[in-house]
Amino acid sequence: MRRADRTSLVAGVVITFAGLVFLLDRLEAIDVRFGYGLPLLIATVGAILLVAGLDGPRDHD
Amino acid sequence: MARMKELRRDPERGVLAGVAAGLAGRAGIDPLIVRVGFIAASFAGGFGFALYLLGWALMPGGDGGRAPVERIAGKRETWLVVAGMMLLALAALLLLREWGIWFSDAIVWPVILAAAGGALIWRQSTASDEPAADRPASTRATPRTAAVSLPRDVMGRAFVGAALVVGGALVFLWLNDALRPARDVLLAVVVVVVALTLILAPWWLRLVRGLTAERTERIRSQERAEVAAHLHDSVLQTLALMQKRVDDPREVAALARRQERELRAWLNGRRAVAGDETVALALEAAAAEVEEAHGVPVEVVAVGDAPLDERALALVAAAREALVNAAKFAPESPVALYAEVDPERIEVFVRDRGPGFDPAAVPDDRRGVRESIVGRMERHGGRAVVHTAPGAGTEVELVMKR
Repeated sequence: MRRADRTSLVAGVVITFAGLVFLLDRLEAIDVRFGYGLPLLIATVGAILLVAGLDGPRDHD
Repeated sequence: MARMKELRRDPERGVLAGVAAGLAGRAGIDPLIVRVGFIAASFAGGFGFALYLLGWALMPGGDGGRAPVERIAGKRETWLVVAGMMLLALAALLLLREWGIWFSDAIVWPVILAAAGGALIWRQSTASDEPAADRPASTRATPRTAAVSLPRDVMGRAFVGAALVVGGALVFLWLNDALRPARDVLLAVVVVVVALTLILAPWWLRLVRGLTAERTERIRSQERAEVAAHLHDSVLQTLALMQKRVDDPREVAALARRQERELRAWLNGRRAVAGDETVALALEAAAAEVEEAHGVPVEVVAVGDAPLDERALALVAAAREALVNAAKFAPESPVALYAEVDPERIEVFVRDRGPGFDPAAVPDDRRGVRESIVGRMERHGGRAVVHTAPGAGTEVELVMKR
């Protein structure tokens, strides 16, 4: 069975989470101000980079 | 129909990263037009600058390399972890700031910048103590410069660290209004520097390119001379020996096998003879080899010893060539090799009591003394002097600083 790519998995999860937060903001269920939105975006990119760095080398490298 | 040229950066014709030159090459127009377009667009809210950065990130290099974005996406490197942690820390700081758990922008941001820069410099200062063998060959300093210079990548990171520290200090001064008195002077200095850069940049670029081309040509020429010297000492000498021993097929075959082994080892970057790890041992091995090949006794006296580094290897090769010359041109005379190794330098003398010769009368196409001895020693920072005259024997003096 094909092994899941951890980077893609984490990237998918954190981007989906960020997307949900912004969707709830649009639906006015929550209020995401710039002061919270910017750290959320930065943390999303940071988490993806961190996992990519910690993950093993790709097969085709 | 002619195939359209692939869109690539062209660093060789470029001023910065070759984005404008690459675009101009693809469109078949003068790069200057694209550059002016980028500069003009940069004044429209920095659009041109952003576009240039985007082009640099997405366009592959001119030498067939991949685009920076492609390279980053395909790597798992330490810097990814560092960048990820930095972004997470930044997000946490922004959240703390939003919640009011914060000293002041005028203190925290400069301190963070200076701390990041300081950490980078400290990291590089300890990294430079690591053994050179752990680093790639291209980043290793030569023995002569090791004490005073650092590899280029270490220097680059230290420079970034220093820039961060200085940037942190400037941000601190600016946020605390300490730069106000110097603002007019700074503005004038910046304007003059920018104007001078614009005026002098073409000459500076031409100078840098000229120096790079000259350095490349010099390295190429030295490499050619090294290859020629090696081929002269090995293949040509063996062919000459084979012609002399043509009536003994077994010895000719043995000579050919030995030369083949040596040549293969050299082509593969290995040393032909194992075990001669010091100067004295290598000189003795060279003397034994010449004795065996030419049937002339060689007396070796070595005082002191040293590890066999690249410069010492060149000295041994030059001494071997001097021994071969002595064996060839003074076959009836005993050959003596005297070596003295001290902490400052290595001296080798090869003497024979043969017929001697007039160095000025040696034809230009003979490379033995000129390239394999004198040229080789000079290329490696040493010197060689041949003391000889017709009827007075020959002494080759080789000196290499350690």
